[in-house]
Amino acid sequence: MRWTGLALLLLSLLGVLAQSVPEDPRDEAKRQKQLLLQTSGILPSDLIVEQGKDLFYTKRGPRGVSLEGCDFGLGAGVLQGASVQLPRYFADTGKVEDLDSRIRTCMTQLQGFKPEEVKRSEVVPLAFFIAAQSDGLPIQVRIAAPAEREMYELGQKLFYARSGARDMGCATCHVSYVNRRSGVLPFSDVLGKDASMSHWPAYRYSNDQAWTMEDRIRACYGNLGHPQPDFYSPVPIALQLFMAYQANQAKAELPGFLR
Amino acid sequence: MMRPRLKQAGWIAALALLGLASSQSDPLKAAVATGGAQYAQVILDQDEGQRLCTQYQSQLPGELIPKFIEAQKALIRYPANGKLLGDWQNGEKVFTDPKRGNCYACHQGDPKQLAYGTMGPSLANYGARGTSEPILRYTYEKIYNSWAFVPCSLMYRGGVHGLFTPEETADLVAFLVDANSPLNRR
Ligand code: HEC
Repeated sequence: MRWTGLALLLLSLLGVLAQSVPEDPRDEAKRQKQLLLQTSGILPSDLIVEQGKDLFYTKRGPRGVSLEGCDFGLGAGVLQGASVQLPRYFADTGKVEDLDSRIRTCMTQLQGFKPEEVKRSEVVPLAFFIAAQSDGLPIQVRIAAPAEREMYELGQKLFYARSGARDMGCATCHVSYVNRRSGVLPFSDVLGKDASMSHWPAYRYSNDQAWTMEDRIRACYGNLGHPQPDFYSPVPIALQLFMAYQANQAKAELPGFLR
Repeated sequence: MMRPRLKQAGWIAALALLGLASSQSDPLKAAVATGGAQYAQVILDQDEGQRLCTQYQSQLPGELIPKFIEAQKALIRYPANGKLLGDWQNGEKVFTDPKRGNCYACHQGDPKQLAYGTMGPSLANYGARGTSEPILRYTYEKIYNSWAFVPCSLMYRGGVHGLFTPEETADLVAFLVDANSPLNRR
């Protein structure tokens, strides 16, 4: 398990030179998006948004209610602008929550699902739908509550942490080696130019994959041969709060559409 | 909602110590055993070098560098037979193996090998430096523990972490310097 990530990393290198000098992945993604829109009239990511919309409005779970009563930070049922303000502190749970964990909170507390019944295959489309309601808005997270400050500081430490048998961490690639590559794609400038938090959750057309930032963070650790943090645990939430704060004011493109 | 709240507080208390020069661990381990235990373990098991590189975001202040390098040098182990130059053919295997060297992830090596990362300098034609004792020693020690030369380098300390043995390190040296190695063939 630990090594499959590295093996994949290496395998993915095999494609590199076949394409000689690759174009900027951001431009390439834009071009692909246009192409897909022209040929099929709808993006795969739109279909995921639709699926999330159904899940959102359907009365589900032991209590038979929709998620319309869920407060994503701006009041029950207010979705526009909600996801660009996450992660944030929620008084009702006493926790800092990101989009994934807030969906899970509402699925358990509102709809009555047991935590183990909350499937990623539902959380991800829901996240796509909710995020899409903030498309085009600026990222606006704040560090106000003491819990938010603690989480921010934790996220910053984790982002720069060097650990594990490969002595790595997020910053080693995404700060120090931006634009260099280990696989096919150059490392994105997570805190700078790419403002990565502004385009997640995202659809990746190269492997038809819909991921939230929690998935993305876990995969990064996997690539480093590092044990992955649990979904919904403070680790991915803290990292997101740190990254989102650096991305404040960046215009959100939601859901993201990436190579 | 009492339990999840405590759980989160526990994580924060435990992980807040990250990068601080402290290694008392038992209460910490108990606190993080609640979830993500494996992840937390690796983070909490940071060694002194990792802790310093975390604390200073991989930019060590100048005054800490001599001691840091000294401490990293002290971690280097050598082959029992004392030979720093091993078998280049086995070295190539270790160099390529994603579980051991995984060197292609960051370096160009054999120029015929087209898939490589660009984070480290090209090692093609490394053998042009010759095989004098100082070159062999530098190459051996650099591969075994790159932080003994460049504190907090991206290049991980494969020997220190046991990703390859001292003997395999000597084989890697041979892959880099041996005139017959594909790295150096024209
Ligand atoms: C994660 C990326 C990475 C990996 C994997 C990696 N290196 Fe490096 N390596 C670097 C970087 C970056 C440098 C330059 C900075 C430094 O010296 O630490 C470097 C420098 C070197 C140097 C010094 C070059 C010189 O001109 O003096 C040697 C030798 C070397 N690496 C060998 C290896 C070998 C052998 C392996 C596999 C066991 C390996 N590296 C794996 C990133 C990496």
